[in-house]
Amino acid sequence: MSRIVMRLVRAVPLAVFAALVLGAVVGAQESPFPVAQGMASQSLRPYAHVFIAYALAWIVVFGWVVSIGRRLARLDERLRD
Amino acid sequence: MTDKGIRRAGVGLALVGVILVIVVHWLSFFWVATEVNQGVVQRIFYIHVPAAWVGFIAFGVAALCSAMYLWLRDDRLDHAAVAAAEAGMVFMTVVLLTGPLWGKVAWGTYWTWDPRLTFTLLLWFIFLGYFMVRSSSENPERGKRFAAVVAIIGALDIPLIHLSVVWFRSLHPTPVVAKPEGPTLPAGMLITLMLGLLGFTLMFFGLFLLRYALESARNRVVLRERRSQS
Repeated sequence: MSRIVMRLVRAVPLAVFAALVLGAVVGAQESPFPVAQGMASQSLRPYAHVFIAYALAWIVVFGWVVSIGRRLARLDERLRD
Repeated sequence: MTDKGIRRAGVGLALVGVILVIVVHWLSFFWVATEVNQGVVQRIFYIHVPAAWVGFIAFGVAALCSAMYLWLRDDRLDHAAVAAAEAGMVFMTVVLLTGPLWGKVAWGTYWTWDPRLTFTLLLWFIFLGYFMVRSSSENPERGKRFAAVVAIIGALDIPLIHLSVVWFRSLHPTPVVAKPEGPTLPAGMLITLMLGLLGFTLMFFGLFLLRYALESARNRVVLRERRSQS
């Protein structure tokens, strides 16, 4: 089971990255959804804050998942001995 | 439920939660309209608010399990309390990291000693104290009891955080969803936020189950070592 957790840990950041790239490609073409008027004229500087915030959130949560996976694997090993 | 079942349920719930959060990321970047006054930085809202919601649930669960542990002295309740408290620390850390990034653009400063921000930081430190009290006691049983009391005291701070923006003059926006007259958010923002809340909640319960399984495994190791020593 701890192996499944570790697989999850490896797969999810890749899935997040793929979803963001795919979303960016689709979004850069023609969006089927409504988009606020005048977005292009806005400064893109705050985007850095948004990306850093999202990245930090994922780093903290996945850091915790990795820590749970490692601790579980270690305890399972001790229980098997 | 068996240990394997708990782990499977944990992985399943966490995976569904993560998928939903990815969908919310896509919605928040490419679908939902940009807020007129704050611009793109308002998109931090879709990660900041769900993280705060889950942090409060986690600390609430920790306090509830702690109170029941003090009453029933069942170790499983203590395991659940530790698992929830650790999850609460993780999600509240996300809140305390994403909030200042939003504040820097919206208010011009990363941090201000605003009542809501101060009470949130206080909550984080109280639960840091929970883990310190737990690990610093020479008698583990006494450490668990003292920590349970700290968790109950910490949870009393949650309503203070929620009401601080109503009671005191505050830079922090007042609630836009949890208020008597109902949500005042535009439909697109509300849908994105609700999906975010659901995704984060599922992710929390999944990871909480995995962390609970970890605590149970640790308990089994300790019991086995004690048995082999005696």
